[in-house]
Amino acid sequence: MQSDQSTEVHEPIKAVPVRHPGRWVAGLVLLVLLAMVTNTIVSKIPKQNGQPGTQWRYGWDLVRQLIFSAPYANAALLTMWLTLTAMLVGIGLGLVIALFRLSPNPLLSGTAWTYTWFFRGTPVIVQIFFWYNIASIYPTLGVGVPFGTVYWHLNPITLISGFVAAAILGLGLNEAAYMSEIFRAGMLSVDRGQIEAAQSLGMPHTLTQRLVVLPQAMRVIIPPTGNEVISMLKTSALAGLVGLPELFYQYQGTAANTFQNIPPLIAISLWYLLITTVLSIGQYFVERHYRRGVAGVSQRRFGGYVLSSVFKPRRRGGMWDVTSDSVLVPHR
Amino acid sequence: MSTPVAQSPSFVSEDASRPPMVLAQDVRKRFGRLQVLRGINLAVEAGTVTCIVGPSGSGKSTFLRCINHLERVDAGRLSVDGTLVGYRMRRGKLYELTDRQICKMRADIGMVFQRFNLFPHLTALENVTVAPLRVRRPPFSFRHPIRSHHARRAFKEEVRREAADLLERVGLADKSSSYPSQLSGGQQQRVAIARALAMKPKLMLFDEPTSALDPELVGEVLDVMRGLAADGMTMIVVTHEMGFAREVGDALVFMDDGEILESGAPRDVLAAPSNPRFQAFLSKVLT
Ligand SMILES: Nc1ncnc2c1ncn2[C@@H]1O[C@H](COP(=O)(O)OP(=O)(O)O)[C@@H](O)[C@H]1O
Ligand SMILES: [Mg+2]
Repeated sequence: MQSDQSTEVHEPIKAVPVRHPGRWVAGLVLLVLLAMVTNTIVSKIPKQNGQPGTQWRYGWDLVRQLIFSAPYANAALLTMWLTLTAMLVGIGLGLVIALFRLSPNPLLSGTAWTYTWFFRGTPVIVQIFFWYNIASIYPTLGVGVPFGTVYWHLNPITLISGFVAAAILGLGLNEAAYMSEIFRAGMLSVDRGQIEAAQSLGMPHTLTQRLVVLPQAMRVIIPPTGNEVISMLKTSALAGLVGLPELFYQYQGTAANTFQNIPPLIAISLWYLLITTVLSIGQYFVERHYRRGVAGVSQRRFGGYVLSSVFKPRRRGGMWDVTSDSVLVPHR
Repeated sequence: MSTPVAQSPSFVSEDASRPPMVLAQDVRKRFGRLQVLRGINLAVEAGTVTCIVGPSGSGKSTFLRCINHLERVDAGRLSVDGTLVGYRMRRGKLYELTDRQICKMRADIGMVFQRFNLFPHLTALENVTVAPLRVRRPPFSFRHPIRSHHARRAFKEEVRREAADLLERVGLADKSSSYPSQLSGGQQQRVAIARALAMKPKLMLFDEPTSALDPELVGEVLDVMRGLAADGMTMIVVTHEMGFAREVGDALVFMDDGEILESGAPRDVLAAPSNPRFQAFLSKVLT
């Protein structure tokens, strides 16, 4: 009896798998649609007389001409610089505001609340134009006693060179409001027991935040921050509206000169996609760094990760898996 | 034997010149409308082990947390080693301590939690060294940069060495580079004890240190605590381990509903509990 069972158990199960005809039909329909779209993308516009044309429907020749041209490449660099600088302002100031907001001092937390209320409550584009026109209400900037003597002043135009500063201030200060909420959520997600353990060891409040709370909050902070960076990359297109020659500005110029809209749009989209890809890879490495000590996360190499998520698509936790529970759920 | 400090048990060595390590006089604490501590009177002499037992919700944790000022008491006096907790008396008036003074006071009191509360992003060794390195390290002096640099480096080396010794003492010398998530519950709790000891506390508070552990892991933690008691550490232990209380404790205190209902030498009170609620509690715990 016993041996009978064990031989049965060891035999691999052979069963007829369930058929899924619906999947095949849906797959076929999708394949046909894909072929149709691909055809339009790679085809040329036929001539009036039905002869094969010479003009790409998508204007690929113009795209190729534009995309690596000096103005577009420079614009891409400027877009990246603008994104990173505005994000640095946003992250730095956002952290300070979050620390203020969580401080036991009601004056600080009130200030932080008001900041977030104001900068989250008005459109970024309005803020950028506001900074762009700041000189009209504050022609000079000074330091002195309120309603009294001014000791030192300077011209804001020399301080903030027009559109660059307007874009950085507008994008950065607005971002700080959002980043502070992300920091705050992350810091609140850290178990109270951690803070009590630090306190019981005699650590002061600021040291506790820096050594215990923030490093643990990082796991929660980084994924939405990655979102913010990518979102900032695209929001930075607004800087084109005050004349900063970034990608969207270049599109406007090309469109005005050549009366062609789609090719320059494709060119800048490809740049945006490329930068987004690079940023996502960067995010993966930062995330891995802050997963130290989390149960069940192996410190696998990047290549291994990509390969395993491509070849075993069901496994969760690959770098593209935004729902990965290892990111948002506190350990244990 | 009941609560008042005047009747403080005679089993502790009476050293009149030295104040008790912990002295609670009519300590009261309320959370909103819930009175959690209703006048606690307790004296814990230096070098002794006091075990606190009592049903869940009776205020044991709250009392421990008052001792290192994680909670602030509403009324009564609570002092550690002769100094008031959280306040300073000057010219007959009480002044709140600054955050800095409170931190300084806490640094001398170790605490071990039921849920370990190890820092998950730090290795076992880093868990032990982080507080002494950041809290006790001598500050950098710009007037004597070289000398203070050397002093700071020597201090760091010393902390590392002591931390390694502590991990060895709790039997985890080989786990110093493991993260908490890679350790068993018993190992984590032993690291937590080492972490508290690294601040060289004069008093150790244990809040149900073995309650979150699988039964087979309880022993290793109690062994470490036993060793600590043998070395003369002053300890207050909230526990349900009656065997440990009987064997290691110098005093046993029964708390219920925010009051101390019975206290005395563990053997005596366990052999002949006088309070009916204590008797009822014991009959539940000991079966
Ligand atoms: N921070 C708090 N806020 C409100 N009530 C609390 C708080 N901490 C503890 N309590 C309440 O105080 C009572 C005593 O809790 P506690 O001291 O943890 O008891 P024990 O450790 O003896 O189980 C419980 O009823 C608990 O719900
Ligand atoms: Mg408790």
